[in-house]
Amino acid sequence: MGKASRQAARERIRQERIREQKRAKRNRVLMVVGAAAVVVLLVVGVGYLFMNRGGPGPDREELYAALPEQTVQQDGSVVVAGEDVSAPVVEVYADFQCPACQRFEEGESGAELLEMAGDGEAIVHYRPVSIFAQRQAPLSTNSLRGAAAARAAAEHGEFVEYADILFNNQPAEGDAGFAPDDLKEWGADVGIESAEFTERIDSEVEVADQYSDYYQQLVSAAQDSLSEEELSSTTMPELMEWGDEQGIDSSFLEGSYVKEVLDATDEANARYDGENAFTSTPSVYVNGQSVGDQAVFSASGLRSAVEDAEPGEVTTEPLASDSDAASAEDDSGQPPETEE
Amino acid sequence: MDTRDHPPADTPTVGPWAARWELAQPWVSLLARLGLAGVLGFAAYTKRIPELSIESVEAYQLFPPAVAEFIGYTLPLFEFALALLLVVGLATRYVAAVSGLLMIVFIAGIISAWARGLTIDCGCFGTGGEVTPEETRYGLDIARDVGFLALAGIVMVWPRSPFALDRLFGLYR
Repeated sequence: MGKASRQAARERIRQERIREQKRAKRNRVLMVVGAAAVVVLLVVGVGYLFMNRGGPGPDREELYAALPEQTVQQDGSVVVAGEDVSAPVVEVYADFQCPACQRFEEGESGAELLEMAGDGEAIVHYRPVSIFAQRQAPLSTNSLRGAAAARAAAEHGEFVEYADILFNNQPAEGDAGFAPDDLKEWGADVGIESAEFTERIDSEVEVADQYSDYYQQLVSAAQDSLSEEELSSTTMPELMEWGDEQGIDSSFLEGSYVKEVLDATDEANARYDGENAFTSTPSVYVNGQSVGDQAVFSASGLRSAVEDAEPGEVTTEPLASDSDAASAEDDSGQPPETEE
Repeated sequence: MDTRDHPPADTPTVGPWAARWELAQPWVSLLARLGLAGVLGFAAYTKRIPELSIESVEAYQLFPPAVAEFIGYTLPLFEFALALLLVVGLATRYVAAVSGLLMIVFIAGIISAWARGLTIDCGCFGTGGEVTPEETRYGLDIARDVGFLALAGIVMVWPRSPFALDRLFGLYR
């Protein structure tokens, strides 16, 4: 063996050792990265399962069965309260086309409210609004159709059940949904067998479609003749009044549930300010105090907000159930003792 | 003789500044590592309510509803997992790289919302969704995310820091 070949052999061994070290380092890195990946998968996987674990939750049918009477109010909202129950008042503002409202009603929060209403721990005041009424067509008309149909179902004492069906069938944003035939069928599903109901659906659907066109016309007229400043300081009711003076007729809305929900939305916007401001749906107020976004979506958050509150008063008057609807007009007077 | 494979540690060429950096670097990296972990952990915590987190994702109008929902659920968990790994210092360099990529994705998302004229809160820390045009602060959000990206960059380039599990496995000692 020559000197040269010995040197070559030593060099080979040295190279081999370096390769060996590199391989070992690479293996260590791979092992550590693998361990990190396992941690990520575990955290995300277990967390995801844990959050979705909610499962079906309490049986809705049982919750419905335990519900006290649902009383329609003069503004079209619905109070769910047992006779002579004294409890905090939970006001729920929701739009049937709003995805977050769907998650609210279908999730643990919606069930928790029904449970508290059933147990007499809370007076639940459902106040449907249409935050989408002034948006593009399928969004706005879906929202208005849904609210008007729920109001029609409320007339038959089935608001809660019907509202849940609406949320279950909420159209994707931008898709047309809440078709007239579906709205009627869902009425039958909750036991409303009445020609009055189906006729009402037809007329409300027409008004909702008309409103969409009317609103476009109103806005473009307003943009043509009002300044930027005037536009931003004008409320919807003022704008509609202005439109009537310009010959953009709003009388088709008279007596419709669509108008009721539009008015209810304007009133909700005007009702709160500051920290309490009504800025998004779903919004929940306990005795007039906003519970905040975090509590809205957690059953325990809602429950503790209710448990911390004193018994409250419903601020609306029930709609006279008989035909003499002219009886009570003052909305602002003393709230009634929970009367039937 | 070939010397290319000698690790740099074998041939120290230390100037006064380099020596100081040599001393300070592990602590700088530790601060950056824990800072980044804090940011990610806090972001995950503020997104812990899935309904609100989903709403934030939907506000970007980039994904179909099912995808937005999936992201809404898993993004906070992913952020939490990254924070956890940074705190214990496991696979530090690679976790920092992934965190940096995440920041780049966030920045891209905010720029896209800005460019499309959406008026949303970035939802970076909790409540997102639509806001009035006066309430948007895209520039600030992007600047902040660039800062976090820099933290991730420091940890990625200099992963060596004390109190890291990596050291037990012979990495970045």
